[in-house]
Amino acid sequence: MIFGLEFPPIENLVEWPNIFGPADSWYGFNKIALINLVALVATAVLFLVAGRQKTLEPATNAPKGSRNLVESAVAFIRDGIIIETIGPAGLRYLPFLASLFFFILITNIFEVIPFFHMPGNARMAGPAVLALLTWAYFIAVGIKHQGLKYFWNSVAPPGVPKALLPLVVPIELLSTFIVRPFSLAVRLFANMLAGHILLVTFSVLCITLWGASLLLVVLPFSFVMLVGLTGFEIMVAFLQAYIFTILASVYIGSSMHAEH
Amino acid sequence: MLASILVLAAEASTTAAELLDQAAGDAEAVKNPILPTVNEMLYAAIFFIALWTLMKFVLLPRITSVMDGRTDKIRDDLAAAEAAETERVAKLAQYEAGLAGARAEAVSIIEATRAEGDAERRMQITAAEAEVAAARAEAAAEIADAKARARSELTGSITDIAVGAAEAVIQKPLDRAAQSRIVEDYVNSSGKN
Repeated sequence: MIFGLEFPPIENLVEWPNIFGPADSWYGFNKIALINLVALVATAVLFLVAGRQKTLEPATNAPKGSRNLVESAVAFIRDGIIIETIGPAGLRYLPFLASLFFFILITNIFEVIPFFHMPGNARMAGPAVLALLTWAYFIAVGIKHQGLKYFWNSVAPPGVPKALLPLVVPIELLSTFIVRPFSLAVRLFANMLAGHILLVTFSVLCITLWGASLLLVVLPFSFVMLVGLTGFEIMVAFLQAYIFTILASVYIGSSMHAEH
Repeated sequence: MLASILVLAAEASTTAAELLDQAAGDAEAVKNPILPTVNEMLYAAIFFIALWTLMKFVLLPRITSVMDGRTDKIRDDLAAAEAAETERVAKLAQYEAGLAGARAEAVSIIEATRAEGDAERRMQITAAEAEVAAARAEAAAEIADAKARARSELTGSITDIAVGAAEAVIQKPLDRAAQSRIVEDYVNSSGKN
């Protein structure tokens, strides 16, 4: 059941039994935890292999193979996300943002990996943890750069007329410290859950139609939809990782300077 | 009485236990699948923080060091190429300046040579003209001398013929000197006409 060798009961649409540990225990290790572990191991192995990969030519130092893949991804995060949203000063946050990107991407991509077929982020726990860590991280960055004035600067941006502060402060307080982590978590979770439900729906439909003699003619359409949505989910997996990472980068950047 | 109370109490406790079990079952049945569970949050946090730590201290430095080295090399190569380009432009400007100087010098040499040639030509023309004028004057003088000699010879001959003829006509000698002056005056006056 863990590896999807048989069609799971519908109760396991989003909830998986523990592989070890009693049910409902705080340390129960289930399929979602396994996916998170694989995301850690896969990322580490990919980077280690890429780190050992020799460059194409010592003279040009051009990357190839897995190194090329990893360097492209790191360059994408560095140049396409950090430099664009924070600037060169944000390069010190590359480890955190790269970890976010790879962790989310790989946990998401398990939606379409055979024997798993379950995105780790279709459960609220992963997105909630990542959103809370991001929330704590950008607050820590704000305190580091602005001291305790960060909290006032966040809710009362410089230049706002004093007469508007009673209106702006509650809005900014809610927006910066409550809505940001909540929206980060819910966006990722809801998108992955919706995609997962879509794929499960069309999978169930295909299986059901296979046994229905009169409706068998509809099966190809359902199967085409299933294949198409599988491709679409690969794109969504990447897109959600990108969106989460770029928003985290924007939040960190906004914590660095009071005028943001 | 006591026995019946105990039985009732036992029944009540059994009912309460059943109710508690039912309530727990209902709670499990209505457990919200959207809410995060503690165990999944725990493992997500552990594995993400582990990845973050590895990424910061082990994984990323191996990649970024090579990338930074390549970036530095590209920057150095670009700087060297830019310096070479600057040097090329400077040398080209220097060459073009030299070429322009050479061209100007060539033009000035050509102009000087042309002026010198013109001066030489004018001098030679002047000398030739002077030589021609001298030759012409000499020829004119020779012509004038020849003319004077011819006139003198002609005057003498005419005087001799005229005096001889007149002496033959009048049969007496004439004053040759006076006749010579008359003939000479006549020849001179006719030469003028």
